[in-house]
Amino acid sequence: MAGISPETALPATEPPSKRRRVQDDSVDSTPSCFESPDGAPQSPAPNTSRLPDQSLSIRHANLHAKPNNHHRHDQIPIIPNYQPHLVLQGHTRAVSQVRISPDGRWIASASADGTAKIWDAATGAHLETLVGHMAGVSCVAWAPDSNTLATGSDDKAIRLWDRVTGSPAHAVAHRENPGAAAGLVMKGLTGKAAAARRARTGVPGEGVRGGRTGRGPLLGHHNYVYCLAFSPKGNILASGSYDEAVFLWDVRAGRLMRSLPAHSDPVSGVDFCRDGTLVVSCSTDGLIRIWDTSTGQCLRTLVHEDNPAVTNVCFSPNGRFVLAFNLDHSIRLWDYVSGAVKKTYQGHTNKGFSIGGCFGVLTDADDGAGEDADDNGNIRQQAFITSASEDGDIVMWDVASKAVVQRIKGAHKGVCFWVDVHGSTMASAGQDNLIKVFRHRPRGGRLKRENGVGEGIDGVNGDDEQDGTPDAAMADEELQRRIGASEASPGLHVKEEQP
Amino acid sequence: MNLLLSDDYLLQDYPENITNTIRSGHSTCVRFNRKGDFLASGRVDGTVVIWDLETMGVARKLRGHSKNITSLSWSRCGRYLLSACQGWKAILWDLQTGKRHREVRFRAPVYGAELHPWNHLQFAAALFEDQPMLVDITDYADVRYVLPSVPKRPHLETDAALKEKQAKEDAKHMTTAIVYTATGDHLLAGTTKGRLNIIDARTREIIYSEKIASGVITTLRLTESGKELLVNAQDRIIRTFIVPPNLSAPNLDPDTIQIPLEHKFQDVVNRLSWNHVAFSATGEYVAASTYNNHELYIWERGHGSLVRMLEGPKEEQGVIEWHPHRALLAACGLETGRINIWSVTSPQRWSALAPDFVEVEENVEYIEKEDEFDIHPQEEIQKRRLDQEDENVDVLTVENGGGPGEDVDAFRMPILFNLGESDSEEEFVNVGLGTLRRKSPGDQENDEMTGEERAAGKKASGSGRGRGKKK
Repeated sequence: MAGISPETALPATEPPSKRRRVQDDSVDSTPSCFESPDGAPQSPAPNTSRLPDQSLSIRHANLHAKPNNHHRHDQIPIIPNYQPHLVLQGHTRAVSQVRISPDGRWIASASADGTAKIWDAATGAHLETLVGHMAGVSCVAWAPDSNTLATGSDDKAIRLWDRVTGSPAHAVAHRENPGAAAGLVMKGLTGKAAAARRARTGVPGEGVRGGRTGRGPLLGHHNYVYCLAFSPKGNILASGSYDEAVFLWDVRAGRLMRSLPAHSDPVSGVDFCRDGTLVVSCSTDGLIRIWDTSTGQCLRTLVHEDNPAVTNVCFSPNGRFVLAFNLDHSIRLWDYVSGAVKKTYQGHTNKGFSIGGCFGVLTDADDGAGEDADDNGNIRQQAFITSASEDGDIVMWDVASKAVVQRIKGAHKGVCFWVDVHGSTMASAGQDNLIKVFRHRPRGGRLKRENGVGEGIDGVNGDDEQDGTPDAAMADEELQRRIGASEASPGLHVKEEQP
Repeated sequence: MNLLLSDDYLLQDYPENITNTIRSGHSTCVRFNRKGDFLASGRVDGTVVIWDLETMGVARKLRGHSKNITSLSWSRCGRYLLSACQGWKAILWDLQTGKRHREVRFRAPVYGAELHPWNHLQFAAALFEDQPMLVDITDYADVRYVLPSVPKRPHLETDAALKEKQAKEDAKHMTTAIVYTATGDHLLAGTTKGRLNIIDARTREIIYSEKIASGVITTLRLTESGKELLVNAQDRIIRTFIVPPNLSAPNLDPDTIQIPLEHKFQDVVNRLSWNHVAFSATGEYVAASTYNNHELYIWERGHGSLVRMLEGPKEEQGVIEWHPHRALLAACGLETGRINIWSVTSPQRWSALAPDFVEVEENVEYIEKEDEFDIHPQEEIQKRRLDQEDENVDVLTVENGGGPGEDVDAFRMPILFNLGESDSEEEFVNVGLGTLRRKSPGDQENDEMTGEERAAGKKASGSGRGRGKKK
């Protein structure tokens, strides 16, 4: 993989002058965007000359597919172009999930090494290591205020953390035994050291089942906690577990509010819709269920005819659709009201692992055209779908045309488990213990794009121009190839086994 | 968003069963916020508790009063809450910080204080044995204006003795309830003599006054639209009136104002009197708690007929409140101070559990489709399926601007974690219809919050089961 190497890209080595926008709504994109901030060998010149070519081909593809009506037709669509930005190193085992905070400033990662870490999304600085779980951490979720973090682990516990202090997000209980406190609040320790310390002190089983006093974890699940989601108000936490149930927790009191008898297999994904009234859950039993948050009743069940295992699910930004990740190399967009699949996205490899992705939304501001684009005061938005792939790639699709609009080749060695997008920032987690951060860069100047001549030159995101090709036919071929290649891979592995 | 999938709107629009009982101390009054996601309750000890209706848990506790809370009023945005107590005090709380934003001291206990519907820095207060006040708290130093309880008499009487007598009479005339009209331009006030006054909030003069009841007016309430007025008086009659729509017209002639009586609700058989009254969300129903009786009465306003008597716990209910847009009623038990919540429960629709399940009234014969069992090659099916996906999908635009209470920069209640711990008093929550399983035994560290989760109650459980166990 060209472009970045973990050694050269440690966050600390990044010069401060290269720090860039923290939030996606800052508009200006400086020329320095075209340099690789992590100091990787990448010259700006071939980069810019490559871009016009790529975008031309993409526009071409869009014409083929379908006129895109997400934006005014006289404008060039915003096409994702995420380029390597940072590599975050610190976890000692595979990173199972990575999430960018709702305000876009922080990145949280969960790892099989039993810790979760918080990073600064802009600089990549490591801020906290959350130590407390006694087994691998599978999932992490941000509260909407970006100040609280929930982690779920194979030790059956869910813990809430204060982002600022890195300690459990709860007042101290009087009866708490000091050993536990020491085990809980070890900040800044990483990896093995923390694990070793944890092993020595041992964290006693503080907290209570189905409830919590003091700052114990949320206990109640009978098996590994596998997925988490906060409600938009932050007052409810949904958790899915290998015990096949979805629990809804009262976040304030740490009390189990409701248990949904959800599935007949491990629950692999949960999400809240934008107004918090619906919860979606999915399972490897192939079912996707929509629940009413307030009554706990199942409102709809979605099953695909072929009944492929579903390993992750999320609502569309407007809450009208559900995106489901199936173990047949497909991501399906469901209209849950009519109960029909509207789109199937293919082109990535997903056969054995529970990999994740999400919707990404880019605006003109992200595309470096903030000043001139919003002539009507409307901010143009473009949604795309992104997913990790078992071959280590990150793949992005246009929502309407189903065409691959960008493929980041070999983002991770081994499996890429998770991708999360927040505006122009993308974070991915992989089997190679690394978290990578990517930044969207507008595809060259608009003027250049019109008459740009350029030959495909190896950039960071691919080894030849075929990779960026969005053409549906090509994607199909690619898919066939990958399916063939992965045929031999073993059965269901979910993320990372614990020893 | 859940309305897309449920037909709950077909359910009846008034509550039926007790679904929850929540308790924190001894509550004496409750009030929903505009969005209906929080319920404020005022306790005997002066604490104000904010409940999150989604979790049925405490979201905030506000301490500042030392006497019984008598009234609560939310600001439109939901960020500010005005509480008034018998301790001669009203506090405007900022729920973002949980601190008092303004505090106003009166020279008498406060019956009730209501915020201006559009401006949270202005409120009207009805005081015990004192004239009502309009208070402007824009600045820290509040500005108070005394409001009249009796209309100005024409200065025709020259007889000093008569004048004095009238003045004495007027001084005995007190305002017991006061509310703002929907626009906030006028105030409606009820008096000890059963008079209804309309006060111009700008000139602070009574522009209309009429005797509408033969006893003390205890409660005045308006519907959300402000078009209907509900009056409870001590003459055992609940009345509804139509509020003149043209009150805010610039060229309003006070002489043309009319407030027509619409309905009178009473129980002539049992001769009941009413503790407290409330309009339903749309004003379609009127609910009342009964004096010396356990039941809540619900009338339909259109026909003026009694539709339901809600059975609750064997306890007299005090203040009642109807949820701003759901069929949900909250009432404070007078003896225990528990807050009981009545609402409707819809059964699980079994057809939702699998995509090919349909709920039918009676058996139907299945007619197989022509091509139902045709066998096509797998690839062909797959290809056809993918080709069919040419519909355009919009994953970004929010339809009809979101549901109720989906404002872009609405106030968001902060999530606090350390509630209850600072409070020695026991506090617990029952989720009456929760589908919760009891957790595995052997936990010694149960505190009062656990043990409330009871076995899955599939049927609407009765009231008696709403009690939690206490350790």
